[in-house]
Amino acid sequence: MSAESLTANTESAPAAKRGFGNSAAMRMVKYMGLRLLTMMVTITIGVYLTILIANMGGYVDTIMRNEIRDSTTQAILANPQFRNLTPEAKQELIQKKIASEEKRRGLDKPFAIRSVNYLRNALTLNLGRAMYMTSDHGSKEVRLIILERLPATLLLAGTSQLLLFFGSIFIALSLSRKYGSWFDKLTIALSPTSAVPPWFYGIFLILIFAAILKILPFGGLVDVPPPENSFDYGLSVLKHLILPATSVIISAIFLSIYNWRTFFLIFSSEDYVEVAKAKGLPPRDVERRYILRPTLPTIITNFALLVIALWTGFTITETVFVWPGLGITIYRAIGAYDTPVIVGSTIIYAYLLALTVFLLDFVYALVDPRVKVGSESSQ
Amino acid sequence: MTHNSKLLNIEDLVLHFKTLQGPVQAVDGVNFSLDSNRAVVILGESGCGKSSLARAILRLLPRNAGTYSGHIYLNGNDIMTLPEDDFRQTIRWAAISMVPQAAMNSLNPVIRVGDQVAEPAIVHLGVSKADAISLVKKMFQHVGVPEDFINRYPFELSGGMRQRVAIAMALVTSPMLIILDEPTSALDVLTQANIFNVLKRLKKELGISFILITHDIATSSELADDVAVMYAGQIVEVGDTYRFFDHPLHPYSQKLMASVPRLHSDKEPEFIVGRPPSLINLPQGCRFADRCPARFEKCVQNPPVFEQDGRQVKCWLYA
Repeated sequence: MSAESLTANTESAPAAKRGFGNSAAMRMVKYMGLRLLTMMVTITIGVYLTILIANMGGYVDTIMRNEIRDSTTQAILANPQFRNLTPEAKQELIQKKIASEEKRRGLDKPFAIRSVNYLRNALTLNLGRAMYMTSDHGSKEVRLIILERLPATLLLAGTSQLLLFFGSIFIALSLSRKYGSWFDKLTIALSPTSAVPPWFYGIFLILIFAAILKILPFGGLVDVPPPENSFDYGLSVLKHLILPATSVIISAIFLSIYNWRTFFLIFSSEDYVEVAKAKGLPPRDVERRYILRPTLPTIITNFALLVIALWTGFTITETVFVWPGLGITIYRAIGAYDTPVIVGSTIIYAYLLALTVFLLDFVYALVDPRVKVGSESSQ
Repeated sequence: MTHNSKLLNIEDLVLHFKTLQGPVQAVDGVNFSLDSNRAVVILGESGCGKSSLARAILRLLPRNAGTYSGHIYLNGNDIMTLPEDDFRQTIRWAAISMVPQAAMNSLNPVIRVGDQVAEPAIVHLGVSKADAISLVKKMFQHVGVPEDFINRYPFELSGGMRQRVAIAMALVTSPMLIILDEPTSALDVLTQANIFNVLKRLKKELGISFILITHDIATSSELADDVAVMYAGQIVEVGDTYRFFDHPLHPYSQKLMASVPRLHSDKEPEFIVGRPPSLINLPQGCRFADRCPARFEKCVQNPPVFEQDGRQVKCWLYA
């Protein structure tokens, strides 16, 4: 923003205050509308691309057709009821069955048209039914498949990521105070450990704590059979949570601390931080009001993106720990070309992301007085 | 030394910075003193260690600070020996405050200026928020900032106003000494004059002492009672303004004064040949010798400080 517009802003402040009621509200509504519209366009494009990719540009149709032909042929040939039919009649019956099955699955219409139908269903959150996968309770509803796996994923990803986020910010802040100290150097030296994925640490943790020391379970969500009363159940889940959560934390903590520490170091060399120290403010106040407060927008952004990223879970880590989460489900869906499940989880993620970005705009305006929602677009 | 009678007495102050090339001797054995209700201007080229001197007095050390030694007596007490927390509570802003270089950036962008100015009063004077705010209003009046600006954010203020807010912030705890580190270098002449008038009035009305760090010789003469000239991390001349501006002693001071442009003068402003020595590899003898027009054999040795009618000069010419 130029200096001119800043001064103009200052001078017109009283005038703007008087006319705040209508023009500001109008501007706000206009801005929000525009923002929602552009986001909807982005989501539509993103989801359509996902549909195309998940269907391999229509190639999944071919796979399905072949599968239908195989299974129908097998079924009729193996059925003793039809043993007496002539080969021609059998062939005719097979063709009829295939046609009806393809019609049932919608394969009689070209992919281009169906992809648009998929898009409409996805955007209206009409997630439909899975092709092959079923929920643990036997339902084929994509919604149920996802909802059933969501709590476990949120538990693992939520616990580990929240601990990681707040832990690393807290440690990073104290490290930025002790720049060049022994612990600071150690953290930097250890940051490459984050190149190794969590499941790798998971394997070692399982080996040490489950196989050798035998104090923690190998995997799963709860003991088998699950404890009757809910307190014991919770305790058992907690015990199962320790190793996967620890492996996620170990694999990210040092890099995360290193990141935040550098971030805080940059902001703690701002002139106003120096002045705050010169003013003799207690170190806690300097940190809170002069380092954390001005960097709040960045911290909030990171946090919001982290929260929605929980949705995707950890694919391989969940597999290693036999953790019944979403990551493992999506992984299976991709392997089985179960497009409704893939598209279903993607569309929810897309909506969450868009909503977060939309809300962040307003959060920025709340925490940073320099940000005025809508003023940029109206100029 | 009679450091008991003085407000501030600095002895052998040293502040070095660690770099890969070796220590940067930004402040290297500085001695000077200041009475109460006096203003001293520290003149010198960019990079001679003026700002580092200000930081050294307030113990605002950067991360790469190396040697930091010497004595700083404030009303006779050596504040160098104070533990960090005592120093913060009793010296910083309670006794010595500062208007930092680039006061434009010295305000937190997300806190209202009124609150920022009030903070030191709440911390050091132990007053309530409401009392602190009324104190802030009084200080804003002193420096000529409209009272209703207390609810504004720094970005809503012009540069001159922010500068005044920074000065108000330095005043709010009624310190004995204010260090002004190039307080007006980024401002236009009218605003500069305005701010210096404010400072002069404050000195007269409140009896505050000032250390004014600048390379702007013309405006500094407005406020200063004494002049200290700094060169390559050391103070080479100290004297009263009147005689200094008339007749500087040290060859460097003479050259510095001669470089100030004068209106309707036939003489071209002079300049000093060469560059100041790097603060990493300092020459053994007099640090100005390489550029000095009056250089002679003795200059290969480091000159002590000589007294000359109550003025001090670090040059063999006055032995």
